[in-house]
Amino acid sequence: MIQVNNVTKKYGSFTALHEVNFHIRKGEFIAILGPSGCGKTTLLKLLAGFMEPSSGDIHIDGRLTASKNRIIPPEKRNIGMVFQSFALWPHMTVYEHVVFPLRHHRHTRDEWKQDMVARAQHVLKMVGLEQLFDRYPSKLSGGQKQRVALARAIAPLPDVLLMDEPLSALDIELRMEMRNEIQRIHRETHASVVYVTHDQGEALAMADQIIVMNNGKIEQIGSPEEVYTKPETAFVASFVGKCNMVKGKWHQNRFVPNEFPWEQWPDIGIADSLKQQGLCPVRPEQWHMTGHKGEGLKGTILSVQYQGKEIHYMVEVENENWTVHQSVFQPKYRIGDTVSLSLKAEKNIHAATL
Amino acid sequence: MISPQSVAPERRREAPSFSSFFAIKKWFMILGLLLVILVFAVPVLRLLLLSVLEDGAWSAAHYTHVLREAATWTAVKNTLYTVTGSTLLSLVLGVSMAWTMAYVHLRGKRWIQLFIFLPFIIPSYITTLAWIQFLGKSGPVFSLFGWAPNLYSMGGIIFLLGISHYPLVYLFTVDVFRKIPRELEDAARTAGAGRKHVLMKIVLPLALPGIAGGGLLAFLTNLDNFGIPAFLGIPANVRVLSTYIYEQIAGFGPSAFARAAVLSVLLGTIALAGTLVQWLLLKRSRVTETAVRDTSPRIFLTAWRQRLLEASIWLFLGMTSLVPFLAMGALSLVKAYGLPFRPENLSLKNYHYVFLEDAKTGSALWNSVSLAVVTTVICLVAGTALAYVRYRGGGFLPTLMELFVTIPYALPGTVLALCMIFAWMQPIPGWNPGLYGSIWILLIAYVTRFFVLQVRGSYTALLQVDPSMEEAARVSGAHGWTRWRRILLPLLFPGLAGGALLVFLMVLTELTVSSLLWSTGSETIGVVIFNYEQSGYTTYSTAFASVLVLAILAGGLSFTAFGRQWERKVMKKQ
Repeated sequence: MIQVNNVTKKYGSFTALHEVNFHIRKGEFIAILGPSGCGKTTLLKLLAGFMEPSSGDIHIDGRLTASKNRIIPPEKRNIGMVFQSFALWPHMTVYEHVVFPLRHHRHTRDEWKQDMVARAQHVLKMVGLEQLFDRYPSKLSGGQKQRVALARAIAPLPDVLLMDEPLSALDIELRMEMRNEIQRIHRETHASVVYVTHDQGEALAMADQIIVMNNGKIEQIGSPEEVYTKPETAFVASFVGKCNMVKGKWHQNRFVPNEFPWEQWPDIGIADSLKQQGLCPVRPEQWHMTGHKGEGLKGTILSVQYQGKEIHYMVEVENENWTVHQSVFQPKYRIGDTVSLSLKAEKNIHAATL
Repeated sequence: MISPQSVAPERRREAPSFSSFFAIKKWFMILGLLLVILVFAVPVLRLLLLSVLEDGAWSAAHYTHVLREAATWTAVKNTLYTVTGSTLLSLVLGVSMAWTMAYVHLRGKRWIQLFIFLPFIIPSYITTLAWIQFLGKSGPVFSLFGWAPNLYSMGGIIFLLGISHYPLVYLFTVDVFRKIPRELEDAARTAGAGRKHVLMKIVLPLALPGIAGGGLLAFLTNLDNFGIPAFLGIPANVRVLSTYIYEQIAGFGPSAFARAAVLSVLLGTIALAGTLVQWLLLKRSRVTETAVRDTSPRIFLTAWRQRLLEASIWLFLGMTSLVPFLAMGALSLVKAYGLPFRPENLSLKNYHYVFLEDAKTGSALWNSVSLAVVTTVICLVAGTALAYVRYRGGGFLPTLMELFVTIPYALPGTVLALCMIFAWMQPIPGWNPGLYGSIWILLIAYVTRFFVLQVRGSYTALLQVDPSMEEAARVSGAHGWTRWRRILLPLLFPGLAGGALLVFLMVLTELTVSSLLWSTGSETIGVVIFNYEQSGYTTYSTAFASVLVLAILAGGLSFTAFGRQWERKVMKKQ
């Protein structure tokens, strides 16, 4: 269990992290999600112990691990880490990469230290590299390098696995495949995983809990579904759900858009903090779009992007540009067409109960 | 939601302890800074102090005396003429060679590059020796044409300084040219500019900060050079500041040290001002550092033009980098100076004398090699430590330390030698440990002077290694020494060795500092060759120098081969 209390990190006059508080339960998969420069990598480095917080403290298993003046260095912690650039050592073989932490990690179990060959074989089999044990990194493909980095991190079976955008250097096909691999390894090792990413798809797909960050602050902590469907801040709504932020007023549970006072929208589960700001976030797929004779807000199509299973429209409504995603089975519109936009209600009922 | 650890086997637990690093780090840094100030900055201060003290009281008397003499102003004038002239020559040669090598399609660029470097790794006084033989009375030019230009003159000094230091300008500017984006030229061409117009309006303006930086480096090196004006200027009564200071000390007048101190402050000020301007220029041109090097040629000549260009480049390189050394080698085989180069006049007698009969040579070789080894080891360990602290982002203190460490290298060698005398003759006033007059003063001076070379070499090597390499070792549980042994040293080795080799070569053939600090029994290679030449034993000096050139070449080649082997065997690159 990791407890992060009021952690602030400053570089000179720049505050990279601002009073951050959260905790990670044993075996939990946590994704830290945010745009570049939001402080997520700083947070990961603090968890690893590469630097000390400017104020606040971090406890691991109830023990003080890092504060302003005292820090347990990474080599003494029970962690494993996968780096964005893989960080493979060019002068070592795949096998040597796996043996290195077995030999040096102070939390490696004694029987593995005595029979490192067996443990290394087991780990390499786990990541599907048992055939390539004597290869050097320069002779490996991107996906294979990623597997070596994973194998090295999990070999001593650390309590916590830290992952710094591990899939960002891979192409899209491989990314999908590695998502499954990482989930499987998480299930098999029962380690807590802290997974840093700027890709909301990865975070939504794999994590138990998502921490959304922006400008060094935590915007929201919640399960993927909570973060996606019930964003608490405008940033989370637009970054995770790609929402259109409609301005207006909330009267009890009815929303009245500023530009269209005759419209009344039902509450589709908007957080109170957004209601107070007079905002109603609408995800692109939540729009119901009909022709110019239909009901709702009137707008003009600015651009059309055909995506295969969906068509993405940019619609200009009263000087604001909103994105609308429509299934290809819906009627199609062209640039310049006038359309009407209204809200789809989400059915929050499990299929089996129907 | 997630089952507690039941499937995974039991983890090993151990209470970790806090890092002691933080408590110790600060004290180490302060201690290091004090040491750096003591060794690198205090000597310079003592030189300044000596120039303004007379009989223990503040006085500008030394300055007024020295500045009133006509000889001082002749030396200053000569210095300005030689340095300006040779810098212009270096610039013209270096920039045109760099532009040609960067842009024009030529065969055998690797070999051309090698020959450009040759005058750079061979010490300039040996190059001078070679040229003296090449253009001397018994040299090939004189026997062919019956006339040869006189090198013992201002023109000779300018010429030799220029061709010895154009590789610096070349090295500095060739990448600047390569980093100018090809698109910028293409854009100008499509906008209707001709080839000459593109060169004048696009390429040269963009390369200007780099060219100016290279020019200043050549300026500083020319200012610092002692060997060339000493070999050519002293016999011709052409004094520049560096040789004039040397003559003050060697002459041992009543106020020799104070006069030399004043001249040194003069010379040092010019050099430090030049360094400052260079630093400012480099800061401005940093934009180009991020650009990608484009090594493929941009200009293709017609076949016979290309051949003509190649032929003239090789003629130039042969004339500057090969023939003089052959002439020197030939002379070293002649029995007596003045005899023509004929089979009946050849023998190994000079080599026999130098290496087997003259005891001074053997001891000089031993001195120089052991000084070079010890200096290299000290610089390698301490310099890499400083570079590592800076690499890990230690903040303000390491940057300050590097600034102090740079000063002794930026100062001309004669000035530094003087600083060393003042600082170490009596490290604490009233206590003379006898360093000056022994070999130890040379060791201290070499470490002080060349330390920064290793710091820079190690820092560059460290920058090539991504921080995640070491971080990955840390999260794998590797402690300090294990990380160095298993990860950092194998990755850094070629870079560290390159820096160390440079320090080793510089110390091995050092002349400027040694010429002022040597004493009987502590002669170095440079001093022995210089003394042979001063006393007219040209055949001996050429024999010694020829062996040295061969040794340097062998060392350089085996290092290159070793580096490639390392890349292939250890780094697994093909």
